[in-house]
Amino acid sequence: MPGSDGMAASESARAARRRLIGSVVVVAALCGVIFAIDTLLPFDMAIAVLYLVVVVFAASVFERLGLLIVGAVCVGLTGLSFVIIHADDYNLSSVMRCLVSLAAIAVTTLLTLRNQRDTRALRGQADLLDLSHDAIFVRGPSDIITYWNRGAERLYGWTRAEALGSRAGALLRSELPPCAEPELMSSGLWEGELTHTAKDGRRVITISRWSRHRDARGRLAGTLETDRDITDRKMTEEKLHEARGELAHVTRLSTMGELTASITHEVNQPLAAVVTNGEACLRWLRRDQPDIGEATTSVERMIANARRASDVVARLRALARREEPEHLPLDPREWVDECLLLLERELSSHRIRLELELAGHGLRVAGDRVQLQQVLINLMINAIQALDEMPEDRRVLRLSLTARQTDDASPAAQMIVLEVEDSGPGAAPQALPNLFTAFYSTKKEGIGIGLSISRSIVEAHGGHITAASAQSGGLRFTVALPLQKETVS
Amino acid sequence: MISRAPSRSAAPSNDPLVIVVDDDEALREGLSSLFRSIGLQVALFASAGELLAAKLPDSPRCLVLDIRLPGVSGLDFQGQLVRSEIAMPIIFMTGHGDIPMSVRAMKAGAVDFLTKPFRDQDMLDAVSAALQMDRERREAQAATDRLHALYGSLTEREKQIMALVTAGLMNKQVAGEVGLSEITVKIHRGNVMRKMEARSLADLVRMAGALGLETRKK
Repeated sequence: MPGSDGMAASESARAARRRLIGSVVVVAALCGVIFAIDTLLPFDMAIAVLYLVVVVFAASVFERLGLLIVGAVCVGLTGLSFVIIHADDYNLSSVMRCLVSLAAIAVTTLLTLRNQRDTRALRGQADLLDLSHDAIFVRGPSDIITYWNRGAERLYGWTRAEALGSRAGALLRSELPPCAEPELMSSGLWEGELTHTAKDGRRVITISRWSRHRDARGRLAGTLETDRDITDRKMTEEKLHEARGELAHVTRLSTMGELTASITHEVNQPLAAVVTNGEACLRWLRRDQPDIGEATTSVERMIANARRASDVVARLRALARREEPEHLPLDPREWVDECLLLLERELSSHRIRLELELAGHGLRVAGDRVQLQQVLINLMINAIQALDEMPEDRRVLRLSLTARQTDDASPAAQMIVLEVEDSGPGAAPQALPNLFTAFYSTKKEGIGIGLSISRSIVEAHGGHITAASAQSGGLRFTVALPLQKETVS
Repeated sequence: MISRAPSRSAAPSNDPLVIVVDDDEALREGLSSLFRSIGLQVALFASAGELLAAKLPDSPRCLVLDIRLPGVSGLDFQGQLVRSEIAMPIIFMTGHGDIPMSVRAMKAGAVDFLTKPFRDQDMLDAVSAALQMDRERREAQAATDRLHALYGSLTEREKQIMALVTAGLMNKQVAGEVGLSEITVKIHRGNVMRKMEARSLADLVRMAGALGLETRKK
């Protein structure tokens, strides 16, 4: 609607002009009055100093040029008064008075001009703060809000008038991490994620920066805070995280599907032992002279094997369960051993010779047990499938676990490195970088998600995974995970 | 401790032995307990290699074998046993009885194929049947061995005459074949009957059959 816009514009232009005319009239009237007093009344003093009031007033209504004109007019009028009054007798004191008045008007005009320029710059900066999408505000020493920008109004819903003078913590119901205040105290700066509640009850997640603000004399004046809204990003991240977890879970289930035979055996074996021992026990008891010793031993074996079966089931359930990953200290040896337990059968039924070089006992990585198991099981199943194409006497799977620890304190130097190497047919060098790409598979029935998931799991643990051609011609996957600092002896 | 078998197991003549090969200790021990409860001797092994390395008493025996073993599979081990002439009836156990596997095992001479967990009675029945088979096989083997020993005590001439007589030739015809007098043939024939401990000509004919003698006509 350009019409209404134009109208509004001309309306405001008219109002501005009216204001200007009003101001000019006021200034002129003031000048007139002062001039009259100065010239007509017989006070023997520097009435002209009153022109300063005019200059100061003009500074608030006129721009630079207007102010200069007003200053010049005041100087002119002072001079004129002097000439009229002292036309005949120029005594020293009156000349001095006039000069002081003139100097005062000139200096005030110049100072006011500078002040006006500074104020304009400051207002520009304040407008700039209002332009920012971030919420920016200043908290005084007792958490009272002393500045509140437009961004803060938008983000939190509180207007400037409502916010100024309130306590920031109470107004925003901010959830502060315990480290924030002490860090601000010690270093004068803090940066991190915060959750606030807006006026309408919305939860707002921000990435915030606090800075201690001191006045010219070094006294603590307050805290500057800028909050950037990351609520949407955070939610997207969370959804992505969830989706990734879901995918990892599905892949894990399909991996378990490939292990059905081994899993059946793992569960069935202890159950068979329970049944057999139970039946043997009954036979010992039902004899003409029951053999309590034999029966007891049988029952003990039954109990031990029922426990064993339930352990296996618990392990499987952990793999099958959809759970939030938990990062807990984990012995890398246990990690490998638990995977081997599940895959031992698979290896022997595929006639694969397993070579183990396991170092790194007593070390710890921080990780999710189930997810890391998933990575290793996935790598081993890939290797087993690759080895199926080889003659039986040339199927070797090598697992090595080494700690790469140096005196160097850089985190990259403190890694646990797991290598899974098969003597299978391998892959073309140009195919290696594609292995971790989702939906890329060299297997007929593969959907190409296993390695991609493995990589995202390893990277979520702060590690990395790479593939290379092994000397044997097969593939070697290397998983490196950061070590936890404290080692357990 | 000598115990009477509560069910149908045949009275052990010379201590039948059940050999169990399974890599799972609890199941091995359970089977051992089960077999001992009916008075059978048991030998336990975790792998095929251990069994091959062991020295076992020469008695009626059968093998209870897990089809999935570390190292060599149960089916391959069956093949090895057959080739190495350590013949004994085999009962297979498997965690998941898939049909191709069981067919292969039965074709190679397995007595039974049981899916874990099995019923104790099924296992005991299978073991009894296997032991019975082995006992019969051993008896047949012993008889054959004895027969060969007796046959080995004959002179060449007697062996020649035994072959002709059991082929149905009359003394006179035999005499003609070998160029001896009928009297001499009769004497040789008497020696053959005595040395072979044959009660009748029919008995001798059966022995010749078991020995696989063929009439060598000149």
